[in-house]
Amino acid sequence: MSDISSLLSRQNADGGWGYNSGGSCTEPTTFALLALSVSGCGQTVGAKMAIQWLAASQRSDGGWPPRRDVDQSTWVTALPMILPQAMRAKLRADRAKEWVLSQKGRESAWGPRLQAYLAGSQNPLDTSQEGWPFYPNTAAWVAPTAFTILGLERFPTDRRARSRCHMGRAFLLSRICSDGGWNHGSFRALEYDLESYPETTGLALLALHAETDSRLRQSLAQAEQRVSRLKSREARSWLQLGLFAHSRPVLSKLEDCNPSRSVLEIALTALVGAAANGNNAFIHSDENL
Amino acid sequence: MKTYKTTRRELLGSVSLSLAACHLRNPREDAIVSVVKAPAYSGALYDTVHRLFVQHRVPIKGKRVILKPNLVEFDAGSAINTHPMLVHAALESVRSLGASDVRIAEGPGHRRLTLDLADEAGYFATIPKFEELFTDLNLDDVARCTVKRPASKLTEVYLPRTVLGCDLLVSMPKMKTHHWAGATLSMKNLFGTVPGGVYGWPKNILHWAGIHECIADLQQFVPNSFALVDAIDAMEGNGPIQGKTKHVGLLIAGRNMVAVDATCCTIMAIDPQKIDYLRLAGLDNCRISQIGEDLKNLRTPFELLPSLSSLRLA
Repeated sequence: MSDISSLLSRQNADGGWGYNSGGSCTEPTTFALLALSVSGCGQTVGAKMAIQWLAASQRSDGGWPPRRDVDQSTWVTALPMILPQAMRAKLRADRAKEWVLSQKGRESAWGPRLQAYLAGSQNPLDTSQEGWPFYPNTAAWVAPTAFTILGLERFPTDRRARSRCHMGRAFLLSRICSDGGWNHGSFRALEYDLESYPETTGLALLALHAETDSRLRQSLAQAEQRVSRLKSREARSWLQLGLFAHSRPVLSKLEDCNPSRSVLEIALTALVGAAANGNNAFIHSDENL
Repeated sequence: MKTYKTTRRELLGSVSLSLAACHLRNPREDAIVSVVKAPAYSGALYDTVHRLFVQHRVPIKGKRVILKPNLVEFDAGSAINTHPMLVHAALESVRSLGASDVRIAEGPGHRRLTLDLADEAGYFATIPKFEELFTDLNLDDVARCTVKRPASKLTEVYLPRTVLGCDLLVSMPKMKTHHWAGATLSMKNLFGTVPGGVYGWPKNILHWAGIHECIADLQQFVPNSFALVDAIDAMEGNGPIQGKTKHVGLLIAGRNMVAVDATCCTIMAIDPQKIDYLRLAGLDNCRISQIGEDLKNLRTPFELLPSLSSLRLA
């Protein structure tokens, strides 16, 4: 069964996708839509139903909840913003943009910064660079910051969006681990260096696709060395997408990874396949900054 | 599935447990903790684990049971994750004791690649049909719960329906030091029930709301629990991720998670009175009756980070 057939067979009756067999959620639904889009199935009934599900799930504050039974907009708001223009047009994307622009990592707010200063805490992180949290009023992390940058890049004429993207990229660059990749958000915990993760490294590289900072040389070299050793399909997919975003050839295949076990992995497999052919769904050249 | 017969040792264990319970003046404060030797992850573990469930008269027959291991990182060679053989032993035992449904469930707080993590940790190889038995608590359907009398800043929390709908949760942590909480044991293991799909990876909301306080608060959502701590190979030093393996060769079990965790701390030479979450969860009201091995002979000081040296048991 092809990735797309497999995806469509897992679509819920309400038009969305769950992570596996559960209720529909914003994240897998958006990734399934991206996969349908790069596979030329963006106008199918399944895709239209999914867009309707997303439109109906968008909250009055402009954000999206991770699932409808959660009464809170979260980081997943950035994901529908990444969809192609034809799909985004059916959503209130401007409201979503406003919601994400209202969010930042709690550690960057003046209260916690003043508190940390008065306490004399030795934070190795530069908290002046504003990233994005997973959940409102918590700290910023690599994954939500990367996704939000990719989402805001769809609004190239918005000055605030450009400014926050710039700061978000600085946030990512300031969080590189000593091995060249990215952990969740920090490079140190207490006095100990943290190791990077392939999935967050891939995401950060994706969000930094337009950067030429010299620090990325080590990041890309590390990613290239690591990618073929990964058994996790999800981890390898993100690392491959990150490498493709920097025009790095990737020789490793997804076939020798663990099998696709979830909607996300099926969708990512399709997205990696398209990116290998020059169609990276996360980076639309005509819409970039 | 294995079948078990009541052995003379089990019978003696049950009698000693009953005597210990009778000895306590207030049955509401019964907190019986078993400490048993388990030198290795071997076939003998299956009988040992079964005996613990039987001795503690854990209500299992006809119940929906969750086995909640601790899966943290891709590092099969270290003592970072609960060993799959212990989980398999618990699965076999709970099934043989008549559970109506058994799920293995976990929501890792660091990595969201849960099945890949379980695969690397040996769960697929050790537990037949693991994927069918497993629920990723990070991605499960959720319900909003009110936190009653919160110690933390959380007034409500979304929790997985699989957890809220179970009759018994068996918390199966790895015995480890924890660079913020001091020790991570059966109570801290419940952080894995908070859905990353809602709060992210890591579950940073718990840190802002107060780690110790959240550990204490989460207990109210699992009124029926059994703690079974994997202390065969444990972790000391910069736990729960970057520490060193320490062979302890024990299983610690009981129906009161505060009592079990306090007993574990004593074994680790950590003063339970200095672990905030234990005090918040009622350590002072908990009379621990320990059975099995003699605790005095089992204390084995765990290496602690300098920042945690004040926790050392005198």
